[in-house]
Amino acid sequence: MMKPFVLVPIFLLLFTSLSTAQTLTEDQLQVRVKEVAKTLRCAVCQSESVWESNAELALQMKEIVRERLIQGESPDEIRAYFVSRYGDFILLKPRALGLNLLLWIGPFLLLAVGGVFLFRTLRKWVAETSPASPEDLSPIDEKSRRRIEQEIRALEPDK
Amino acid sequence: MKEMAENKSPSAGVRGWQIALLVGIFGLIILFYKGLWGNPSFIPPVIVGTAAPEITAPDLYQPREVTLSQFRGKVVVLNFWASWCLECKLEHQNLLAIQKRFGENPNFVMLGVNYQDKEDLARQYLQEHGNNFEHVRDLKGRISIDYGVYGVPETFVIDQNGVIRHKQIGPIVGETYTFLVEGLIEPLLNGTATTS
Repeated sequence: MMKPFVLVPIFLLLFTSLSTAQTLTEDQLQVRVKEVAKTLRCAVCQSESVWESNAELALQMKEIVRERLIQGESPDEIRAYFVSRYGDFILLKPRALGLNLLLWIGPFLLLAVGGVFLFRTLRKWVAETSPASPEDLSPIDEKSRRRIEQEIRALEPDK
Repeated sequence: MKEMAENKSPSAGVRGWQIALLVGIFGLIILFYKGLWGNPSFIPPVIVGTAAPEITAPDLYQPREVTLSQFRGKVVVLNFWASWCLECKLEHQNLLAIQKRFGENPNFVMLGVNYQDKEDLARQYLQEHGNNFEHVRDLKGRISIDYGVYGVPETFVIDQNGVIRHKQIGPIVGETYTFLVEGLIEPLLNGTATTS
């Protein structure tokens, strides 16, 4: 049989280790609540996240996030719950689905369309401005030819 | 003549292209128009058409729990309200009228859900404005968040199968009242409602 004075420190040790473990998980929990709540939109104060807002609804939503985390739900599962009740609206970063998808890929799509358009136009311009074959050029008359030679000679006085 | 024939086919191709581009741009304009001039605070009621979440909540007056499942097989009108809510006062007499009209029907239940409120203030409000149906308290916003409520008043109409058929945001007044009573609750109770 253990004597009481041996039991007391063991009990104390057990108690302190339990309490520190609890505060640790409490901090971790808080971090995770923040992680999820920052991605949710406060439905009352629509430009704020649930984490930032002090509206009662936001506080209650934070409490629900917390409870569901304790129950072992993943952040995605918790977000899915709120989406099933409030719709995509509740997400501060909307999912790339449906019309949202168009907004996500739209700019790139437009860039691609613009690129193809530019490519085609440029090619057309190049084709139009490419030098014509020598036969197409009308022969220069003798008088002009002599005039050009004279001008070139005038530019090179050394020769 | 030969040149014209050659020019015709590529220009027709460009025209097809241009039409596609025009349609695309037009679509975008519509999208932007909706985005810019639509109501940004309107939240589409995604919950309509789904099974009504279960409710387990304390009665406002009696020490007992009220559950939604106990009303299964009945048409349930669920009204979220608060004593501090001004628009709730606008619809209150209409709520009493709905209960007066359908309350005798054994297949009809109206349940008030007191939202973000104090118990005594809620009772005081009902005493002041009249009351003829049951109310529960929404502890920690569990019921309202489960129903996607983001303000009051909001009213849900649940059919005999426990499916949410309608969500009314804002007070039940004027045309809304007529629609709810004659266009929704009555057909549901008579079994003549069109499935939507």
